[in-house]
Amino acid sequence: MKKTKLGEFEELVLLTVAALQEEAYGVEIKRELEDRLKEKLSVGSIQSALKRMEEKGFLTSEFGQATQKRGGKRKRIYTATPYAHRVLAELKEIRSGLWSTIPQLANIKIVSQ
Amino acid sequence: MKQTNNIDPPRWPLRFLRFFVKKEFLEEIEGDMEEIFRDNVEQLSYQRARWIYTWQMLTLFRPILMRNLRGIQNLAEPAMFRNYFKVSLRGLLKNPLNSFINVFGLAVAIGICVFAYAFARWTYSTDQFHEHKNSVYLATFFADRDGAIRQYGLTPRPLGEMLKQDFAQVRKMCRVEDRNVVVKHDENVFHERVRYADAEFLEMFTFPLKWGVSASLKDPNSIILSEKMSGKYFGEENPLGQSILVKFDKERGKDFKVAGVAKDFPKARSMEFDFLINFENFRSSEPGYDFHDWNAFVNATLIQVDNPSDLTTIEKGMEKYITMQHQAVKEEWAIASFAFEQLKTIHQTSDLRNAIFRSSHDDYATIIYLSFIGTFMLLLACFNYINIAIVSAARRLKEIGVRKSIGATRGTVIFQFLSENVVITSFAMIIGLILGATVFIPGFEHLWGALDLNFRLDDPTLWIYLPAILLITSIASGIYPSLYVSKFQVVGILKGSVKFGKKNPLTKVFLCMQLVLACVFITCAVMFTRNSTYLANRSWGYNQDETLYATVPDQAAFEQLSALMAQHPDVLSISGSGDHLGKKHTTAVLHLPDREYEVDQLSVDATYFETMGLEVKEGRPFNDHDESDMQAVVVNEVFVKNILSTVNGREHPVGELFRIDSIEYEVIGVVKDFHSYSFSRAVRPTIFRVAEKEGYRYLSMKVRGGKEAETYQALQARWSQLFPEIPFDGGHQEDVWGNYFKAIGIHGIVWRVFAFIAVTLAGLGLYGLITLNVAGRAREFSIRKVLGAGLKNIAANISGQYVLLFVIALAIGAPVSYAIIKLILDAAYSYHIPVDLTGVVTALSILLVVLLLTVSSQIRKVLKANPVHGLKVE
Repeated sequence: MKKTKLGEFEELVLLTVAALQEEAYGVEIKRELEDRLKEKLSVGSIQSALKRMEEKGFLTSEFGQATQKRGGKRKRIYTATPYAHRVLAELKEIRSGLWSTIPQLANIKIVSQ
Repeated sequence: MKQTNNIDPPRWPLRFLRFFVKKEFLEEIEGDMEEIFRDNVEQLSYQRARWIYTWQMLTLFRPILMRNLRGIQNLAEPAMFRNYFKVSLRGLLKNPLNSFINVFGLAVAIGICVFAYAFARWTYSTDQFHEHKNSVYLATFFADRDGAIRQYGLTPRPLGEMLKQDFAQVRKMCRVEDRNVVVKHDENVFHERVRYADAEFLEMFTFPLKWGVSASLKDPNSIILSEKMSGKYFGEENPLGQSILVKFDKERGKDFKVAGVAKDFPKARSMEFDFLINFENFRSSEPGYDFHDWNAFVNATLIQVDNPSDLTTIEKGMEKYITMQHQAVKEEWAIASFAFEQLKTIHQTSDLRNAIFRSSHDDYATIIYLSFIGTFMLLLACFNYINIAIVSAARRLKEIGVRKSIGATRGTVIFQFLSENVVITSFAMIIGLILGATVFIPGFEHLWGALDLNFRLDDPTLWIYLPAILLITSIASGIYPSLYVSKFQVVGILKGSVKFGKKNPLTKVFLCMQLVLACVFITCAVMFTRNSTYLANRSWGYNQDETLYATVPDQAAFEQLSALMAQHPDVLSISGSGDHLGKKHTTAVLHLPDREYEVDQLSVDATYFETMGLEVKEGRPFNDHDESDMQAVVVNEVFVKNILSTVNGREHPVGELFRIDSIEYEVIGVVKDFHSYSFSRAVRPTIFRVAEKEGYRYLSMKVRGGKEAETYQALQARWSQLFPEIPFDGGHQEDVWGNYFKAIGIHGIVWRVFAFIAVTLAGLGLYGLITLNVAGRAREFSIRKVLGAGLKNIAANISGQYVLLFVIALAIGAPVSYAIIKLILDAAYSYHIPVDLTGVVTALSILLVVLLLTVSSQIRKVLKANPVHGLKVE
């Protein structure tokens, strides 16, 4: 992990970008995340997360095609960098490692619910 | 294509978006936003989509997405702000005296501004609670009197009903007329004023009822009380259904059923009522009341229209009433034109001769005075601030030098100083608001007794007004020092070659202006105070101290009472009259060859002049036997001066003839001018006529000096013995002006408070300035002392630069104050103390003492100080 600061929301956005592949542009990312999180998100929060991660080197981007619906403006397609993939994998590993050390606790929690 | 045009995203948010979003992100974000917008248009509504678009635009307002607007980025540095704030606070704490002068001065000035605001708001809110204030109009007319066209708030009696019949636009109409009556319920019997009004009164005016229904005014047997009157007669209980007796005169009375009690009226109002009964009651209470008489007037006629444009139609149709009126009445009462005054603005009119609505015109004049005073106080405080800031800038040279050398631009330094100023002014504003709300406003309300300005902190306009004051004050006081301080070059500052603050000419100009302002305030205070003493001692033109009066219902009552009182040893003379000085008069129109004159008219008996102490200067008073002098008049000096001498230039008016209503009268005597009403009203041309005995309504008597109180008690006792049914109504003649002297006294108090504040502010400023100056020259004075300088040398050195300044300030201040006080007194009072130099001289002496005290305290400090400490200062 070291200095790779990745916020919780940023991580979600990053995962969405990775999942959406070619389709990963602003509106689609927002739609996908809204479906999964079941809550409304603002354009501002998505955009600032994308820009921040681009600055940190988790994402690269290039212009895609323009559509009539967008008033002739081009999309920007985001791609997760290999570095981002590595960090995501690391994070997953750390988490599953942690989960595996507390099976009882997890069970109790589930039961008590 | 058209369709897509129709569903474009809203323009303003889009423009805003283009303005602040970073250029390189713009295409993508704008596209995203538009896509979402179009999705929303399809799924939701166009309106909703627009709304979401705007909202989403606001969420984009984030540093990372925002364009690097030059300056904003700089200012938005929170660390820098924190530093500025810290530096300002440290500065405040380091120089407690200067901070106190600045904060206290600004706080007091802002407190006065808050008070001025509260007063203005209270005045402007007069009558604004009426729901139909825009559609209710008062009918007024213009007529030629004394050669000038004047506006009258009365109307000929038949007009109201005719308006309602003739114009479909007149939705509602209501006539209002007042009468003095006696109201009786059980043991409570009082003289009251009852208001006759048409049933629409309570629909046109918004006076909600606490108990009962407004519609009950339609019933001629119902009476509606104000909450105050309900409390007076019935206490706390609900009086609905109770009966109350109204005695219109000695013979006629009527039992009314209480059908409503109005809620307490809003404080800012120009009109209210005590008792309200249906207008139709005139049919029974005054059988002679002719509803169709064009010669007679009703106190007020109001109409309500649906929209203001209807009024133009009505105004155009008023011609025919003028013709009608001209045919019905004598020439002198002819009406020139009709006009309508909107309820919303009636209280602003100054000269409406109307008995129903009170004018707030004086209050509007007061608002102007107060705003001037508030502005001047703010100026005084700002001058203090600027002076102290400039002089103490020397102490901050290093700080500025360092800031500049590590990269601060001139702009940042200016910004730092201004933001420091906002901090100080904000402190001052909080204290000022507290001062205003807890000291100035309650103090003023207390002075006037029952006044309630209804000042509330949750008033939204107050929170526009206060930040505006904050901004103006901090910029006005901060802009010059910050420009001045920031202009110096770093090298100069750090080398120590910049000479700072000591010789700034502007400092002296500001101090000079402060002294001028203080001079004006002191002069006003002195003259207003002297004026109230002067007016209290000014002759009324007759003997008001040793006279008592009482109202009587009729001739019989007068004769019974006067017979009883004549036996009293301390009563020197008794008179009967139809009118009475300070209480009642009528007006008459005189025909003279050149034109008509309106004059005041008092009908009195033969002994009235002697009883009241009116001095007959020429000719004779009326003869004391029946039916004599019925066609003679006694006039006052103003009458002679304004009317008779302009007509034929005759020196001796006795024997002059003129007509009133086609009857010829002869002038038989002239009395010295006298003030019927307060000194605020100019003496009007007045005539006295012989009163018919049946018309006696007042009994006045002259009593032995020193026995006024006992005789008054005796008068009351005899009255209740004679007429247990009728409440006594009378008093000492010296009380007939009501609150007049109190009001004048209050003017004095208010000006003294302002003068005290102004002197304190100017004095504090002066003190701060001299202290800083002396402190800055500590080393110089130490060297002088070491070399043997004595008191003389040091004193001359310190005071030298202020003497010239003072001479100039006072040379400007004295004539300016003199001119201003003359202007204000002339505007505020018809009669006032002759303006002399006492005010100005007092102001100069006070300022001189303040200066001497300030300077001498510093001289003493320098003399006492050990030169070693002064020389050790780095």
